[in-house]
Amino acid sequence: MTSVTTAPRSTPMTPRRRRKPFSVSRSINSLLIVVIVIVQVYPLAWLFLTSVRTEHDFTTGDPFALPTSFTLDNYARAFGTGNLGLNILNSLIVTMGANVLIVFLGMMAAYALQVLGFRFSRLVRGAFLIGIIVPVQIALVPLFIDYSSVDLLDTYQSMIIPLAGFSLPMSVYLFSSFFEYIPRETYEAASLDGAGPYRIFGQITFPLSVNTIVTVVLVNSIFIWNDFIFANTFVLSDGLKTIPLGLQNYIGAMGKIDWTATFAAVCVTITPLLLVFLILNRGMRYGLESGATKG
Amino acid sequence: MLPRRSRLSVLIFLLPPVALYCIAVLFPILQSLFLSFFSWDGISDLQFIGLDNYVHMFTGDVVFWRSFANAIGYLVICLVLQLGGGLIVASLLTTLRRGREVVKTLYLLPAVISTVAIAFLFQRIYSVDPVGLLNQVLQWVGLGGLARPWLSDVNTVLAAVSVPEGWRFTGLYVLIIYAALIAVPAELEEAARLDGANAWTVFTKIRFPYIRPVWITTVIMATTYALRGFDIPYLLTNGGPGQSSELLTTYMYKTAFTSTNYGYASTISVFIVVECLVAVGLIVVLLRRKADA
Repeated sequence: MTSVTTAPRSTPMTPRRRRKPFSVSRSINSLLIVVIVIVQVYPLAWLFLTSVRTEHDFTTGDPFALPTSFTLDNYARAFGTGNLGLNILNSLIVTMGANVLIVFLGMMAAYALQVLGFRFSRLVRGAFLIGIIVPVQIALVPLFIDYSSVDLLDTYQSMIIPLAGFSLPMSVYLFSSFFEYIPRETYEAASLDGAGPYRIFGQITFPLSVNTIVTVVLVNSIFIWNDFIFANTFVLSDGLKTIPLGLQNYIGAMGKIDWTATFAAVCVTITPLLLVFLILNRGMRYGLESGATKG
Repeated sequence: MLPRRSRLSVLIFLLPPVALYCIAVLFPILQSLFLSFFSWDGISDLQFIGLDNYVHMFTGDVVFWRSFANAIGYLVICLVLQLGGGLIVASLLTTLRRGREVVKTLYLLPAVISTVAIAFLFQRIYSVDPVGLLNQVLQWVGLGGLARPWLSDVNTVLAAVSVPEGWRFTGLYVLIIYAALIAVPAELEEAARLDGANAWTVFTKIRFPYIRPVWITTVIMATTYALRGFDIPYLLTNGGPGQSSELLTTYMYKTAFTSTNYGYASTISVFIVVECLVAVGLIVVLLRRKADA
């Protein structure tokens, strides 16, 4: 969080390391890794397996056994009882809304801090640090009170504002550290040509930042898409419920929990983000790493 | 600094983000501080009661202390799993010849999944009827006697709600620590090995000191994340049975939104903020000092 020196990321493995023909300890290590990865990932695989089991199979069989029969009934029931489509739409709206704020406001703040510069910039940076350290829960009571006095409870904004606010500091740090790499001369040349701070922002800084924008969006989307606590506190009506709330409703909606259908619903809701992650995982991992080491 | 900038342009760029940040983060902290001196149920008038909330919290509230102790336990379990586990897996990963990328990706998968989904998943892993994954494994290895309803046993419930949180973010720390480990210059390790150092000495004398700055960052991250743990305990047990898995955050939430005691909930919030700032301060001071010694 302070001035941590970042080790260069993703250095290719040094070729100097000598290749040994065969080593017992190396094989043991590889075996260990395989076991650890299986333990880590198995619960997720099990989630998908369970979602295609029949209910009878689920309640009576050995939980590790492969499904004896394949069925998609659970998915039909999941879509039939819940409001999955609407939940997904709401999550999309909230995620997009918050991301737009995070990207633009984060970039603007970083531009003011890093490129324009001003006297109290250290103070502002310090203030942003607080948002990384304190838990989001402390905002719940005050925001709940404020929202009810300005009639914002039970709206998309009520979720977007705190989600964007608490993600803003990390975004500001990521953009700041990227802006450091844009050479001063670029700005000076543009200035000499008569470009003011707004034109420089629009025509130089913004177009150059596309990669960082993608990183910021990817990293924040995980947390926003999965947000439970703000949605749970500020949203009451079914029409605005995001995926996490929609899932939680499966318990109530079906009285006695229909586990296989619930698992089918879980699979439906985690798949979009899992796919995005698997496709773009390099970018996402880069963002998570640099978010941590730059902080 | 740009040569042609005006005070106005700085304000135009700075004000919107700072405004959002103040509304969402800074003002709520101050508002909590303010409310913590009042007694308020949200309907009747605010009633100033000075430090009564704080006095009650520190001297008269058993649940508060219980939650605090639980939060520490939760923190310890998360730190061990995430940082200890992260360090071990990252170190093993550096010895791997192929498939490092795949392992990192697979390991990070749980971090992408919502806490509600994870809560559902672990409810089944811990379950007794139908027999869940954990109890089944215990039976297989001949420890069937240990099988129990993990979430309703007061002795195991705290660990049972902490493990999912630890599990879900381990991949993040594997990623960060691994990136730091492969940046350790190979010549240093090679030289030490030639001097007859074994793997353990190489690790403690060369690798670990080299990654210490990143290590401090990960400790701070893991600590602040664990102190804000809420979703999984709230969803799995809602703090129960009794108060055996109540954390400060869930206690604060219930005080505010179940008992509608906003004043006292704010007092707990203030404590949580102070706790986080103190924790981060301690980590920086302690780990830095060790680095100098």
